[in-house]
Amino acid sequence: MAYVRAAAAAFYVSMRLRFISGFAIMGFLIFPLILAAVGLFVLNRPGTTATQWTYGLLGGGLIGYWGIVYLDAGNGIQVERWNGTLEQIFAVPTPLWVIVLGKALGGLVWGMLSFIPTIALAYFGFHALLPRLDPGPFAISFTLLTFSFLAMALSFSPIFAMWRWAFTMVNGFELGTYVLCGFMFPITILPAWLQAVSGLLPPTWGTRALYAATTAEGSHDFAAWWVTTIVLSFVYIGLSVWLFHLVDRRARATGELALV
Amino acid sequence: MTPAIEVRDLRKRYVTHRGVIRRTRSENVALGGISLAIQPGELFGLLGPNGAGKTTATKILTTLLLPDSGSASVLGLDVVRQTSAVRRRIGFVFGGERGLYWRLSGLDNLRYFADLYGIAPDVSRRRIAELLDRLGLTGRERDKVEHYSRGMKQRLHLARGLLNDPEVLFLDEPTIGLDPVGARELRMLIRELADAGKTIFLTTHYMFEADAICDRIAVIKKGSIVAEGTPRSIKQLVEDLGIVEFEAAGVSPERVRTLRQLPGVSSVSVVEHEMNQTVTVHCVRPADVMTQLGVILEGIQLQRVSSRDPTLEDAYVQLVGEGET
Repeated sequence: MAYVRAAAAAFYVSMRLRFISGFAIMGFLIFPLILAAVGLFVLNRPGTTATQWTYGLLGGGLIGYWGIVYLDAGNGIQVERWNGTLEQIFAVPTPLWVIVLGKALGGLVWGMLSFIPTIALAYFGFHALLPRLDPGPFAISFTLLTFSFLAMALSFSPIFAMWRWAFTMVNGFELGTYVLCGFMFPITILPAWLQAVSGLLPPTWGTRALYAATTAEGSHDFAAWWVTTIVLSFVYIGLSVWLFHLVDRRARATGELALV
Repeated sequence: MTPAIEVRDLRKRYVTHRGVIRRTRSENVALGGISLAIQPGELFGLLGPNGAGKTTATKILTTLLLPDSGSASVLGLDVVRQTSAVRRRIGFVFGGERGLYWRLSGLDNLRYFADLYGIAPDVSRRRIAELLDRLGLTGRERDKVEHYSRGMKQRLHLARGLLNDPEVLFLDEPTIGLDPVGARELRMLIRELADAGKTIFLTTHYMFEADAICDRIAVIKKGSIVAEGTPRSIKQLVEDLGIVEFEAAGVSPERVRTLRQLPGVSSVSVVEHEMNQTVTVHCVRPADVMTQLGVILEGIQLQRVSSRDPTLEDAYVQLVGEGET
């Protein structure tokens, strides 16, 4: 019960800090809108298929959603370190992963707001609507995609805290995921070897299922995609649990928590 | 009686690497085997210059760092293996303004940490109100921390450190950067907490602070304890010494060296000010040194020359060496 309350407190504080942060507002409102606008302008020509419109419609929101979850959870430990609060939250009886989880859940709620401006832009600016939405599979796919985002972000968090070289790649991982997980276009247009890398990332399968739920075209092998998303997400969560233990040992051995 | 804090032969070194192609490794010994025993209810001060190992010792005892060897326990709990149990029963405050969420109110900061400490909501509500009142923050608790003065931030730090009603409180240079009035108020609070039965482990490099409030102190130098006892007993280490102090401008290093070579002189420290220097000479026979000053400092106008009995600060200078205060 104490852990639930601690996670809820971390969630609440992360939401409070976002509401007053101009950068956070840019993250859910402006950046997704810019990306969605570019995509929709490119697609706004004769011959654009329903599937392509769907990518334009949802892609900006997905990018904003992932960007917020990833930067919040992945960057979560670094931000605490910069604030000088990392030692304070590290030395409480609540494990660090509980606090990061609470913050990441805050990121999920905030990230979902990214869909509001992008879908509004598509509707009011381009009169674009999702052609055929299968509500059940769409909702399940979206839930599992959210879970996969959380799993990925949680595993990035200790990596960034531990290795500075990894943190220098922070934007690279964010943008790479857009491409590799097929947020703005199907991964089938990527080279075969890159598709293999995509297959190891849990959001790839959730994204695929999500887009399939919005169109009658192509295959609809939801069960296989959902199971793959769940299995891979749990693998990443297992990895993150191990990495959090490693961070705990390493940070206490090297004294890197107070790094400015 | 079981000590509240017990440290045996504690060692810690930091390893750093430099360069990418030609990678070099360097080691810095932060603690070279210190041992301490602090009794329940004691206000213990660890004094030392910057880099002496005070913060490293504090961080090991607060479970933030792992020692390389040796053992440390707080309230009978091993700080390496029983971290969660230790964390529930201790509080800590590090000096400086960071370590708070500046864009949240003081109250939100305290509520957040109360939840992270697993304190039941009804208990935390009552305790936060008490702490705000005791630390003089009532009425400003809903203001954002960024609008707090430095003294208020430090009092908020102390409130956070006391949220879980800790039996042992670690304070790492808590008055650093505070104005004299704020620092004195904080020292009084710390003394009150010790009088109320809390064990307090305080690090500082302000000698008068340690002299004013600590029951017992240890002086640490380059990772080793060089003296331990009551402030009075530490002062007695230099009671056979006298202090000659003078102010002048343009005292060259050569003349300082000459002063150091005088018979009976144990140390000479120079503090540079904007317009002049304050030179402090620790010696056995102050009168002899004062006689020699005119010769050694020929051509330099002395602004003030005095001789006095040693203070704790003088004992400290003597213990840690010149130029390290």
